[in-house]
Amino acid sequence: MSVDTVTRLRLLAAGLHTTLYAEERLELPYDKVWAVASDLAGELPHLVPLLREFRVPPGDADRKRALAVGPLGCRSAFEVRLAPGWCLMQSRLVVGGMAAEPEGDGTRFAMLGAARPAALRPVQWAYALGGRRSRAFIRKVALRAALRP
Amino acid sequence: MSAGMDGSAGEPQPPWDAVAGLVRAARAGDALAMDEVLTVVTPYVTRLCRPIALSHCEDAVQDALTAVFVGMRGLRDPQAFYGWVRTVTVREAVRVARRTAVEQAVDPDEVARLRGLVGVGDAELSAQVRDVLARMPVHHRAVLVLRELEELDERSAAEVLGIAPGTVKSRLHRARSAFRKAWQQ
Repeated sequence: MSVDTVTRLRLLAAGLHTTLYAEERLELPYDKVWAVASDLAGELPHLVPLLREFRVPPGDADRKRALAVGPLGCRSAFEVRLAPGWCLMQSRLVVGGMAAEPEGDGTRFAMLGAARPAALRPVQWAYALGGRRSRAFIRKVALRAALRP
Repeated sequence: MSAGMDGSAGEPQPPWDAVAGLVRAARAGDALAMDEVLTVVTPYVTRLCRPIALSHCEDAVQDALTAVFVGMRGLRDPQAFYGWVRTVTVREAVRVARRTAVEQAVDPDEVARLRGLVGVGDAELSAQVRDVLARMPVHHRAVLVLRELEELDERSAAEVLGIAPGTVKSRLHRARSAFRKAWQQ
């Protein structure tokens, strides 16, 4: 038995003690949802505030190094793990993740965000908007998936 | 009887020494390391949960893994990870099984079905074995898993379950005698 990708992301959220985690059922087919979520270079800048560009090398490799570019041109290197229904990204400062599983005609979709340095954790906990922000992210994914042909 | 319960004894264990490094990184907030720990530890947690929690194995695995990941940061010695995961998992599996199961005494006639255990690996429990195990008290199943699958001594099994070594001994005696009868028939 192996755990499904959404459960896996929930377990990582528990391990990272993050409040920035949410999962929802979307009334959209899995393929459409995951086409948006896995298009990191094309979609992440639309989904994540203050992200101008996310450069990912092309190809189907499950391990990649990406470069995030902020609004003022500041750059952060990310390690990325990408598999069907699974995306985990990590820089020196932050962790981001997405997971999706087909659920009937719809999709169960989850997102995770966390600050890495221990010094930032109290800030993360105090930032009570975690749940709201992550649900807003999921709604954006659903909107962009619905717009796809 | 030990041969039956140990049907999977030759199965390679996860590389626990290598995991210690990953556990250190995971405790420091490295999500990629945490993900690798999850990959390594899930089959082991499943192997422990299946004979104890039976049809509620999936719930037990998720609860055990959650307890492992929530508690990992407080683990002082990453080298002790293996034993700690075992303790956490067996306790969670027993908790889930007790929450969900209606315990019944073992019917002696049913014990004969345990012959099906011979040669059964841990990948799947046969329906017969599952059925007979389901009739055993949860704590008997937990003792069997710790003593026969994990090969712990009585004292260590008692520590994991939070009971006296003498209780482990008596529970194991009753469970073993049931198995012995089955193979002698």
